[in-house]
Amino acid sequence: MIVRLTTNCVTLATLMLSACLADAADSLRQKEEQAIKAAVARVAPSVVRIETVGGLERIGQMLVGTGPTTGLVVSADGFIVSSAFNFVQKPASILVSVPGGGRHAAKLVATDHSRMLVLLKIEADSPLAVPEAAPRGEVRVGQWALAVGRTFEADQPNVSVGIVSARDRIWGKALQTDAKISPNNYGGPLVDIAGRVLGVLVPMSPDAGGEMAGVEWYDSGIGFAVPLEDVLAVLPKWSQGVDLRPGLLGINTKGANIYADLPEIAATRATGPAYKAGLRTGDKIVAAAGSPIARMAELKHRLGRLYAGDKVQLVATRGEQKIEVEVELVDKIEPYEFPFLGVLPKRFVNGAADPGLVVRWVYPDSPAAAAGIQLEDRIMSMGGKAIASASAAAQELLTVEPGQALKLEVKRGDQTLPLEVTLGKLPEALPGELPPAHDELPPPAAEQPAKGVVELKLPEFENNCVAYVPESYRNDLPHGLIVWLHAPGGFEQDKLVELWKPLCDAHGFILLAPQSADKTGWKPTEVRFVRKMVDDVRRRYTIDPARLVAHGHQGGGALAYVLAFTSPDEVKAVAAVDAPLPRGVNPPETEPTRRQAIYTTLATKSELTPAVEAGIERLREARYPLTVKNVGEQSRYLTPEELTELIRWFDTLDRL
Amino acid sequence: MLNSFNTQAVSQPGRWRTFACAVVALAMLAVAPRVPAAESLAATIDAVQAKIVKIYGAGGVRGLEAYQSGFLISAEGHVLTVWSYVLDTDYITATLDDGRRFEAKLVSFDPRLELAVLKVEATELPHFDLAAAVPGEVGTRVLAFSNLFGVATGDEAASVQHGVIAVKTRLDARRGVFETPYHGSVYVLDAMTNNPGAAGGALVNDEGELLGMLGKELRSAQNNIWLNYAMPIDELRASVEAIVAGRDRPAEQDKQDRPDHPADLASLGLVLVPDVLERTPPYVDLVRSGSRAAVSGLKPDDLVVYLGENIVQSCKNLREELGRLERDAELRVVVMRGQELVEVVIKPAGAPEENKP
Repeated sequence: MIVRLTTNCVTLATLMLSACLADAADSLRQKEEQAIKAAVARVAPSVVRIETVGGLERIGQMLVGTGPTTGLVVSADGFIVSSAFNFVQKPASILVSVPGGGRHAAKLVATDHSRMLVLLKIEADSPLAVPEAAPRGEVRVGQWALAVGRTFEADQPNVSVGIVSARDRIWGKALQTDAKISPNNYGGPLVDIAGRVLGVLVPMSPDAGGEMAGVEWYDSGIGFAVPLEDVLAVLPKWSQGVDLRPGLLGINTKGANIYADLPEIAATRATGPAYKAGLRTGDKIVAAAGSPIARMAELKHRLGRLYAGDKVQLVATRGEQKIEVEVELVDKIEPYEFPFLGVLPKRFVNGAADPGLVVRWVYPDSPAAAAGIQLEDRIMSMGGKAIASASAAAQELLTVEPGQALKLEVKRGDQTLPLEVTLGKLPEALPGELPPAHDELPPPAAEQPAKGVVELKLPEFENNCVAYVPESYRNDLPHGLIVWLHAPGGFEQDKLVELWKPLCDAHGFILLAPQSADKTGWKPTEVRFVRKMVDDVRRRYTIDPARLVAHGHQGGGALAYVLAFTSPDEVKAVAAVDAPLPRGVNPPETEPTRRQAIYTTLATKSELTPAVEAGIERLREARYPLTVKNVGEQSRYLTPEELTELIRWFDTLDRL
Repeated sequence: MLNSFNTQAVSQPGRWRTFACAVVALAMLAVAPRVPAAESLAATIDAVQAKIVKIYGAGGVRGLEAYQSGFLISAEGHVLTVWSYVLDTDYITATLDDGRRFEAKLVSFDPRLELAVLKVEATELPHFDLAAAVPGEVGTRVLAFSNLFGVATGDEAASVQHGVIAVKTRLDARRGVFETPYHGSVYVLDAMTNNPGAAGGALVNDEGELLGMLGKELRSAQNNIWLNYAMPIDELRASVEAIVAGRDRPAEQDKQDRPDHPADLASLGLVLVPDVLERTPPYVDLVRSGSRAAVSGLKPDDLVVYLGENIVQSCKNLREELGRLERDAELRVVVMRGQELVEVVIKPAGAPEENKP
């Protein structure tokens, strides 16, 4: 009896307890709702509405929004921060409505090109409400995060509720949230549950810069905010009207995988701050801003949040030596230009048996010619470093730039001559007759891959492909590779081989001629197929990486540009005939570690002339070595003589 | 490193992704461990689910789903939903939460509010009482019930999404921004609620009290952003009650956008700079002497930025906005003169100090 009573009591108590818990839970949800409303109310006076007058209608293909956008007050005397996205249309006038404080004309003071923010200034009659910033160190993943905008109603903010999803995103520049972030709140604050500002909402992308990057993620649950503390830290400088830009170090690193490879310097730009601070090619960066660095991505993380003008402490190792330097980052590094010595190296089977670079040819009027370098000279050292081979010499040359002096040691017969040259720029003229690339060769090994006309097919693609391999091909002597991309309509195989056979035979090239799936022309996506074919040929044959070129006619020329600029480490030249650089295809910045040269034809009165000229201008601006072949008034393919000249140019791409 | 090609026009990203999240959220709510918060929310959800209806009708071709959502508003089987092409057929079916499937009759519809009332032959059905609907405000936590993407079939419960009311606004507050006949107020939501098939779903608060009905998919012409929203029951109630009672609908008091005698630049005596760009800033080029504009104090080189409460973004925009106003009415204009904003009142035509042309 007693027992039963007790059990009943327990049951009752349990029931009551769960009822209480349910109540408590309800009141927890209610309290959270109240807290959300209170947090929004707290920050609301600092959230302003921005409207614009005039400006562009489109950016690229995208219609630019015209609706109201949001800004956040950052000083009582009228500084307002907003997202650069909101001003991408470059409006004629900007108007800011302060809650309860009327409308004001605003001036765009400066832009932060790293965090994609803008700073506005209004002349307010009374002090503006400055919000409280949440201390950066207190921000925890999982805490409430409320995104606030003022785009729907002038007198009422709009809110989206989420949590802080991550910290230090976009190379350390942003917080991430799952609140719904879109043009409806870009420029507004992300606040914590107490109404303190965590950051300023912006579209951002880890892979791309610019005002529009990251907009495609709107409302997706991936949104970003630049910590307000970071904004306030630069405000004194920014408010002076100084545009802020990402800080650059001026180095290239080795390796392709930034998440795996150690940041070993492959090249330092002589005009860049890293070089000036004493870092050199081959140094390995092991610490930055006090944090150890094991992979390139970590270095990018440490540097990503820094601006041009910021100083960073770097520690590097050079052999056994440890080097500590302070580097002041810069906003711009001049496009790289390749240095030019003025020689062609001789080629050997299985590489050269003896060290050094044997001179095959000296360019007339080149630095090498001026220094008296002669055919058959053997360059033994550059800048005091011994040279094992032609490719080692090419590597060494990356450490110097045009206009700089370089000491050489040259062996001529029994003599060793110390020479000094002042390096020039890569030539743009097409070369004349060249001496043979190699001496008499020993007999080849018996086993050689297929030669002559070889048909190639990849099962996953419907495209066909044919290659011509010279009879003289041998695995121990690298050949060049010409990827021929036909014009709309395709080609006749026999005629193609007939045309190219003597040229390939004479200059040691394999011709690879992929075909578009649809005879009427190439689709940009077919670049994948072409790249796979190139890979396939490289697996079967020994290809000289310095002489892998893409040559195309009309639509094939456009694809040649796409292929080259999407595989900049592999394709060393583009020869485009009657084909402009396609709009939307951007030549990558020139870098010491990627050497690409361009050859293009130009007709003076073709309907393509303006487009071709526009492309030429873009390539010149990016400082690509560019050879323009004038073909007269109307566009056409090359004559046999011009084609011979072109393949001679291909033959010289291992020039130094 | 790949090069980027042209920026794509903004499409609607992540619709499917967000939808997937919603389903996961639904699953979590359904099988959540026995914590009181979920239990109490689960009770709310169970009670609401019983009132949600899956509606099937015309459509089925690409981009036009043949289904939508609705909810019961009477014990006798009245179902409130949106008026759409789905109902444009003689054969509409409605599946109740318990899996019962009915042929539904279209009682009537209101094209102005884009709502429709259906009727199924059943009694003693759980339902919402429209008279008991409550208002929401910014930050109110809400649950949205709908058959978005048609995932639920038969006796499967509808999908539940959670979020807050982002803001309450009027769709016509920004003219021409949303292509919809509905011009009332809406609750903008911070959840991805307005996906295909969701229209007609119910929006409730934590207590399960009805707040609104999910609308059709809408995209802002101003910033290309899809809008997630519900129409407050307050806006719909009179029309629905009239339909259910079999009365005529309340007279359509269409707010005429066009006045009888629209204002224009010439009647004000204003000449703007040549309109050469898509968005030429509306700078005043010339003010005709003796005109209403001259009397009001407008000057050449003034930049017109507001007309009444509306921002004026271009010459074209100013002409449109003037066309919405009565010619002889008083106009309030804000201009930018240098860096100063100056408010100017253009007096009605025929005002004492002015001679009518």
